Amino acid sequence: MGERVRRVREARTEPANDVGAELMQRVARGDEPAFEKLYDLLVGPVFGLVRRIVRDPAQSEEVVQEVMVELWRSAARYSPERGSATTWAMTLAHRRAVDRVRSAQAATDRDETVGRRDIGRPFDEVAEQVTTRLEQEQVRRCLRTLTDLQRESVLLAYYGGRTYREVGELLGTPLGTIKTRLRDGLIRLRDCLGVA
Amino acid sequence: MTTADIHALTGAYAVDAVPGAERAAFERHLSECESCAQEVRELRETATRLALAAAEDPPPALKARVLDQIKTVRQESPSATVTPLRHRDRRAIALRLTSVAAAVLLAAAVALGVLVVRQNDELDQTRARAAEMSEILRAGDAQVLTVDKGKDGRMTVAMSRSENRMLLLTDDLPNPPEGKDLQVWTGHGGTMVSAGFLTPDNGDAVLEISGFGDADAIGVTLEPDGGSDSPTLPAVMEVPLPA
Repeated sequence: MGERVRRVREARTEPANDVGAELMQRVARGDEPAFEKLYDLLVGPVFGLVRRIVRDPAQSEEVVQEVMVELWRSAARYSPERGSATTWAMTLAHRRAVDRVRSAQAATDRDETVGRRDIGRPFDEVAEQVTTRLEQEQVRRCLRTLTDLQRESVLLAYYGGRTYREVGELLGTPLGTIKTRLRDGLIRLRDCLGVA
Repeated sequence: MTTADIHALTGAYAVDAVPGAERAAFERHLSECESCAQEVRELRETATRLALAAAEDPPPALKARVLDQIKTVRQESPSATVTPLRHRDRRAIALRLTSVAAAVLLAAAVALGVLVVRQNDELDQTRARAAEMSEILRAGDAQVLTVDKGKDGRMTVAMSRSENRMLLLTDDLPNPPEGKDLQVWTGHGGTMVSAGFLTPDNGDAVLEISGFGDADAIGVTLEPDGGSDSPTLPAVMEVPLPA
């Protein structure tokens, strides 16, 4: 079992956290050690992403736990034709984090200046993991190829969990412009990162 | 919205930045636009790289909690799919199902020995739909459950485990407040799975659920427009399902 996991990890291309369809199949069959591998591969980015969006540490942990358990529960629904398992997991994590803040938002409107201030520096902390540091360098380099408006739109929407309407208000930019800048920004990022 | 406008939403959609009703409209567009769907897939892969760059070590105790919890969580089987109403035209479904509602009420009333009189100007359609409904009620293990909450409405569930189908009907259900949707959930050992949305017409709504698998409960909750990934309690209606 351990061997198969190693093979999956060695066979990876990029990104470093790539999970592989084989590991997902084993998780779908109820293989708990396989799930533990999946957890180790994904919990770092899931936690980092959720914490950026949710911010509250206790709530972030709750959401991360929900996400990881959901990966276990619905592993059989993953199909490789629709994208990588890592993306499947991150899409779920982003969605859950956004649901959490948007349902809380009605009660306590989040401090918009905080969201705005943070986006200038997407990665403050120096990552301990080498793979994360490499990923950060590449992403930072590619983010620099975007226009300011593209970059701010992408970061506010993704790390800030904002709707494009909120992004438009925060940046004082018409909604039609925000929509296209978000798309153009992500496309430029895609091409720079070499995402197939 | 023009085609060019809606196409521009791929970026916002890929990063969950499209709110409720607009998201539903875009998902309808996605189901018909393969190039848009492909672009969304690619932009999601791109956004994933932003997540990987944001990786942080979580508190170590979290792992033990998750590994403990999965021991109590039953996994879905690949075939146990709940009709993904969120990705379809909910208005069209509501229209189509109004006539099913009439048929179900009629059939359920017969099954329950209760007389329900319902004005129906779509009789032909109703007759056609009645056949669909009767498959559930004719099954050897058909069961009909009702919950009556008085002024807060009633819910009737006609179900067959052997057919793996159920129809959920409500009447006199108060309309959801502005910006809220009525979302239906099936419970699986404490885990709730979205089964779609109710769109009441004068308090009456119906939802067909196929492939509910081992569901042991069904409930309706009020959620923010566009729905949630997990239910907001307390439920508007809920009922345990017989084994």
